[in-house]
Amino acid sequence: MPMSVRKFSIPEILFGRGSMQYVGTCARRLGAEKVFFVSDPGLKKAGWVDKVFELLETEKLSWVYYSNVVANPRDHQVQEGAQLYLDEGCDVVVSLGGGSPMDAAKGIALVASNGGKVHQYEGANRIHRPLPPMVFIPSTAGSGSDVSQFAIINDVQRRVKMSIISRTLVPNISIIDPNILTTKTKSLIIAAAIDAIAHAAESYVSKIASPFTEVHSLKSIDIIIKVLPAALETRGIDALEQLSVASTSAGMAFSNASLGIDHALAHSLGGMLDVVHGLIHPVLLPHVLRFNLPACPDKVADIGEIVLGKRYSSDEKTALAGIEKLEEFSHQLNVSTRLRDIITDRASLPQVCRMAVNDSCLLTNPRPATWEEMLQICEDAW
Amino acid sequence: MKMDTRLEDLIGLEDTKLGFFKEVQIKMRELQESNLKLKEKRQQIQAILDGITDVMAVISLDYRIQSVNHVFYRVFPHPEPQDEFCYRVFRNQDSPCSPCPLSEALETNHVSRQMYIYHLKGENRQFEITASPLRDQRGIPEHMLLLKRDVTVEKEYQAKYYHAEKMATIGLLAAGVAHEINNPLTAICGFAEGLKRRLPRLEERLGDLQNDKKLARDLQEYVETIIAEGHRCRDIVQNLLTFSPRWNASLTAVDLNFIVVDVLKILEHHLKKKLPNAICLDLDPALPRPMGIAAELKQVVLNLVLNALEAIQNQGKITLRTRTRGDDWIVLSVKDTGYGIPEENLDKLFEPFFTTKPVGKGIGIGLSTCYNIIRQHKGEIQVESSAGQGATFRVKLPMP
Repeated sequence: MPMSVRKFSIPEILFGRGSMQYVGTCARRLGAEKVFFVSDPGLKKAGWVDKVFELLETEKLSWVYYSNVVANPRDHQVQEGAQLYLDEGCDVVVSLGGGSPMDAAKGIALVASNGGKVHQYEGANRIHRPLPPMVFIPSTAGSGSDVSQFAIINDVQRRVKMSIISRTLVPNISIIDPNILTTKTKSLIIAAAIDAIAHAAESYVSKIASPFTEVHSLKSIDIIIKVLPAALETRGIDALEQLSVASTSAGMAFSNASLGIDHALAHSLGGMLDVVHGLIHPVLLPHVLRFNLPACPDKVADIGEIVLGKRYSSDEKTALAGIEKLEEFSHQLNVSTRLRDIITDRASLPQVCRMAVNDSCLLTNPRPATWEEMLQICEDAW
Repeated sequence: MKMDTRLEDLIGLEDTKLGFFKEVQIKMRELQESNLKLKEKRQQIQAILDGITDVMAVISLDYRIQSVNHVFYRVFPHPEPQDEFCYRVFRNQDSPCSPCPLSEALETNHVSRQMYIYHLKGENRQFEITASPLRDQRGIPEHMLLLKRDVTVEKEYQAKYYHAEKMATIGLLAAGVAHEINNPLTAICGFAEGLKRRLPRLEERLGDLQNDKKLARDLQEYVETIIAEGHRCRDIVQNLLTFSPRWNASLTAVDLNFIVVDVLKILEHHLKKKLPNAICLDLDPALPRPMGIAAELKQVVLNLVLNALEAIQNQGKITLRTRTRGDDWIVLSVKDTGYGIPEENLDKLFEPFFTTKPVGKGIGIGLSTCYNIIRQHKGEIQVESSAGQGATFRVKLPMP
């Protein structure tokens, strides 16, 4: 395969304040009569779910609401949802939420149309039949699931996060409405933003990064560093909108360029120890970047330059200073930066790392890593 | 489950978001196939429907014609019966018929039948009408199916059959009676002859008295009357005996043309005197020879010609014609321009002892004899006539 050829695919994107009002028309234009709607209780409480009901009703669409979704969505929840989808005779999947409801919705769409168990599609390009049309409304500025070709589902029995990768998992339409961020808690906004930074940084140094992904990666980091503190302080819609742009850019980048060690470990930790995804990156990302530095000093330096707003005499200096600045940034946000703060069981780390070696995110990491090397990263972060 | 993922897989140059286009194509192909099957099925059903030779009409519950089959257009003159009222199209009425087979079928929830005579294209045709409800999936009548079958020919056959049956019964009876009478009649005639032979001797013994001579004359006259009447009875009985089935008569090939000429020779004298130019002959020289008994067929021809002569009464024409009809029949027809036969008599014409002649002029046995002779030849004898229009008798004999 000529390695110089790259691909960049994204859904149709509706972006802007109030863009949510188009959810009904979008679903209808995709052929919906009965929508399968996936969200979570938090968004129901905030009133956004009812708002979507209203919008669907305006379009005279009926719907089935499914909210049995938790953080790190479980395989059995996907199976249950798919069965409900089939029993009710739904035709379009709509999801409102962060990464978990959206990934669950992807899994449901997959199993409902392709049959079997969600497990049999683990890996890349294992889906052979089309999925029902999907309309996603991200409620956090971070996960990128609304634009990506990934779905991460928790295999409860094996305690593994399964990565399902397929262009067919890219939603048909992503509706990005910054208004939804106004009801988010501070910590959720931070977790999502740091997730987005991790997406951006890892996709930037990815072995299959392309000019189209790189520009989005850097843009995303630039915006978050500049806007996040203000967004947290003022909760102004302008700042929140910028975060939405940043998160979407990061999503477009990682969906096409994939990720690296940080996400391989995050999936492993999430699968085995059920650690919340957003908490992991402030802890691991600086160490991962340091590990990757020898393989791509220029690229890590590019990131450093964005973070610092300036360049030092050498790439290495710029890179290391940038990483430090990132750690400092996390400190200022008052999030945990040590692994010991988010997990208790240090003894399980070797097993986590052995599992992470098999994660497909490792493929694109600029520097190959053994499980021992990954354990070293974890130990450094402890 | 999991297979090793490669870098190429993540780039996914050869993979793309799957759409429904292919599925739609497959679906469309399936639909096209099933559509084709349905079409074939429909054509099959249409062929079955077209094969039905009865007039068929689907009629709504408010008497409006929904559709008709192609036979309708052949039978009824209406060019566009759709949406018209059935009673208007079929019977040219302004309100539903009474009794209406449709409403009868609807009320009884059963097939209803009716006979009706339509006057179509200048002739009366008898139709058997069948009405049955067409039900929907729940069994509720939605439309009515009307079938009209032209049974004119069947009815004619039926009438013919009844007639033949009656004639056979009468014939049997007559033959039986004739047989029983034959023996006493032979005795009567024989002994009357005996008496006649002995009369001269009786006359010798009687004196020359006036009274004696009168007695002898009387006896002479009575005996001769007995003999004459006896002979008449014998002839009648002979004719009646032809009614009974013949088991062992030997049939030979008969030249019908020759028989006709022969009969005319017998009548030559009679004809020359009265009507020299009355007879027309139209004989087919290539006529096949039917199997039959010449003497009996001669009797038939003679009878028919005599009847015709009677009918024309000194003026008019008699045409004798021989022809083949189709591959099955040889036909001899005797057509006269006489006074014809009134319709009410047509049925009874071939019954024994039916006559319109005055008493003493005929006993009505000629045509019934003809009828029996032809029947025993496995043929048919038909008459076509109306009062004042002349008559045509047709003798049909089977092709050898």
